[in-house]
Amino acid sequence: MTESTVFTVLIGGKAGEGVKKAAQVVAHTLMACGKHVFQMDDYQSVIKGGHNFSVVSSSDAVVYGTYAKADLLISFDDLSISKHEHELNPEGLHFCNADDCSSLSTPALKLPLTTLMKQHYSTGGNVSVAAIAIVYAALRLPEDELQTLIAKEFKRNINENTAYAMAIYALVGSEAQIPFTTSAPNPARFISGNQAISLGAWLAGLEYYYSYPMTPASSILHYLALKQESHRVYAIHAESELAAANMAIGSIVAGKRAAVGTSGGGFALMQEAFSLAGMVEAPLLCILSSRPGPATGVSTYTAQEDLFFALHAGHGEFPRIVASPDSFERAFSLAAELLELAWATQSPSILLTEKHLSESCSDISLPLEDVSVTNTQELQPEPYNRYTITDSGVSPLKYPGTGNCNDDDVIKWNSNEHNEAGWRTDTSEGIIAMKDKRQRKAALINSLSRKNHRIAEYGHGSIPVFAYGSTALELREAMKHTPFKLVVPIYLEPFPFEELEQYRGMPAIVVEHSQTGLFTEFLINKLNIRPIRKILRYDGRSWDPVELANLVQEALNA
Amino acid sequence: MRRLTTAKEISWCPGCGNFGIFAAVKKAIIRLNEAGTPLANIVMTSGIGCHGKIFDYLNLSGIYGLHGRALPTAQGIKLANPELIVISFGGDGDSLGEGLEHTLFAAKRNMDITLILHNNGNYGLTTGQASPLSSVGYKGLSTPRGNPEIPFEPIPLLMEAGATFAARGYSAKLDHLADLLYQAISHKGFSFVEILQPCVSYNNTYQLYNSSTRMLAGLPKDETEAIHLAKDKDVNYLGVFCQKQRTVYHETLYGGEKPPAMSYEQRIEILKG
Repeated sequence: MTESTVFTVLIGGKAGEGVKKAAQVVAHTLMACGKHVFQMDDYQSVIKGGHNFSVVSSSDAVVYGTYAKADLLISFDDLSISKHEHELNPEGLHFCNADDCSSLSTPALKLPLTTLMKQHYSTGGNVSVAAIAIVYAALRLPEDELQTLIAKEFKRNINENTAYAMAIYALVGSEAQIPFTTSAPNPARFISGNQAISLGAWLAGLEYYYSYPMTPASSILHYLALKQESHRVYAIHAESELAAANMAIGSIVAGKRAAVGTSGGGFALMQEAFSLAGMVEAPLLCILSSRPGPATGVSTYTAQEDLFFALHAGHGEFPRIVASPDSFERAFSLAAELLELAWATQSPSILLTEKHLSESCSDISLPLEDVSVTNTQELQPEPYNRYTITDSGVSPLKYPGTGNCNDDDVIKWNSNEHNEAGWRTDTSEGIIAMKDKRQRKAALINSLSRKNHRIAEYGHGSIPVFAYGSTALELREAMKHTPFKLVVPIYLEPFPFEELEQYRGMPAIVVEHSQTGLFTEFLINKLNIRPIRKILRYDGRSWDPVELANLVQEALNA
Repeated sequence: MRRLTTAKEISWCPGCGNFGIFAAVKKAIIRLNEAGTPLANIVMTSGIGCHGKIFDYLNLSGIYGLHGRALPTAQGIKLANPELIVISFGGDGDSLGEGLEHTLFAAKRNMDITLILHNNGNYGLTTGQASPLSSVGYKGLSTPRGNPEIPFEPIPLLMEAGATFAARGYSAKLDHLADLLYQAISHKGFSFVEILQPCVSYNNTYQLYNSSTRMLAGLPKDETEAIHLAKDKDVNYLGVFCQKQRTVYHETLYGGEKPPAMSYEQRIEILKG
């Protein structure tokens, strides 16, 4: 596969102009032409104005990331021109807004986007419609299909949108000559990482999602809120992350599967509740989608700075599960798997991901076969004790006021150290007995998780390139340009020692979105790898696949 | 009926107002049970502090949660199973200090749960520091020169936030308190009961409350009168200050009754669809 078979569209404009929406429609269009797609939105924490751009890369093969060089560049405004006109492939086409292009310094096709908008709309206007028309014209896709698409995707002011789109389509005419082949439509779903996570957790029985908005996790809250009627899932916007996490634990006490989701700052506020989940043995699923920190950091960009934060979440000692999906498909299956594992071991779990996976979109088939859900409840003779000491460390669960308990059962969960009945204790033997019971679950977590895909390996090569999370996606696209072997721990806690033993002490390359090389440090600690190169990025951006391939190639040659 | 007292040894100070609260709570629960509510359907949450110890002594299911977070946990339980009667215990430091935000929001939502506030005017378990309800000038370990802050007025505060039932009782007036608690728990919506509770070790208010408490003549005629009476500096009025109806949160969420959960098979069909 060569780079030339990738077709990339970049659309730039102001916040509020519908850049992301336009790119989504373009991605759907490309899928209808039989392509695989990857969409990445680069946006600022701005509602109106500023500069946003969205990139869609497509190919006949699966695409794992977007390319910096565009084949079709659409600039709604002058700022987009200055930011992107040099990111055009030699054979690419640049369409810009003739009404706002004073800094244009390279060849481009000028279209009076603003003038035409004023002619076709009584008030306002929707320039994102123009982007769709340009793509249709440039790829020589049929006019009647464009009309149908605009009516379907831009329902407000249909007539004005359609007239505007047709005018742009006619104006571009046959000037554009982008070589493009179509095949049978790609029937896959086009979804974001956050949607995949939401659906995976939901398949595993998620009923309650408690959250406080925080980019890049907010779209889970929005998506699940929309699904309330159709999926009978309840997304509750709590007063704070503290409330969200404690509410989720309350729903778990009542016997329902619940999750929370946030980014680093919000997860910092959930630390005490995460610790509570460890103590009361609540199977709380936390979705942690990272952005650059510290503090408020950079709201709308990507990072992997929270690795140790996730691994060490909560005060006190208790077993937990931390895993990070390396693909959209895995985001779905891992969310289900982590919720299952949390319930099987009554332990809190963290799905660690990043803005790059959370908010990017791709075409995927949900790996339904990778999800297995069990609901077995082993009940014990009376009297019931919430924290019965067992060999596995897992005590049978009962839920108040439900069919699985009778009127005499008293089910006491306790944030204080407690005895088997759930009453507070501070005796030496009481503390030791309950701490040992909880810690025994670590072995259970390890043995149960071994049934899952705890690592992934891609490609071939003698020196392993390590990455986790969505950095693996970036490397899989880079791998199309230079061969290497990619090794991805999906589970970070428990660490998949058995599967990765073969790499112990080996020279290796580590790629991560961190300034100080947290993942490298983690791998040295766990596997004693000898890093010959750390490829680090901490500006919030993802790599261009060609650029990343060159960095890996350079490291391999070093 | 199961005993309502566990075998756990009680560690409140002799003479603590919590004994009166504990007795009144048990009386109210027995009355609820006699009126047809199974004990299995009554769930409690508590925060951390002297009040929280009631969790160990009261033989009911629930969760002894984090300091300040008894109400979020209670709300999570109520949403997940609206058939449960959920009673949340809080201290003045717990519910109006660490957890003030949650208290206001639970009232704002009109969550169908009850908050029982053990108001002893200080942080007893951590040795008597000033609480959000301590009076100006209160001397404790953290305020050796006297508390510089004015106390909150809990009943006006909760009424303003949206509580649909608000009452005040006194731990030493057991029968009256038990009746208030029964009314509060039976009320559909967010119920708030402030209980004046002497702390014999750090804030002994028995003498004060024995002379300053007076029963309300009846439900105040409107909000203005209720707030006026609740804020009276000389008399601590006891009784129900506010009782009204407003749609409860879970009924809005579910559009009435909670629909049954979806099975795995139903879920997978939707995803295959």
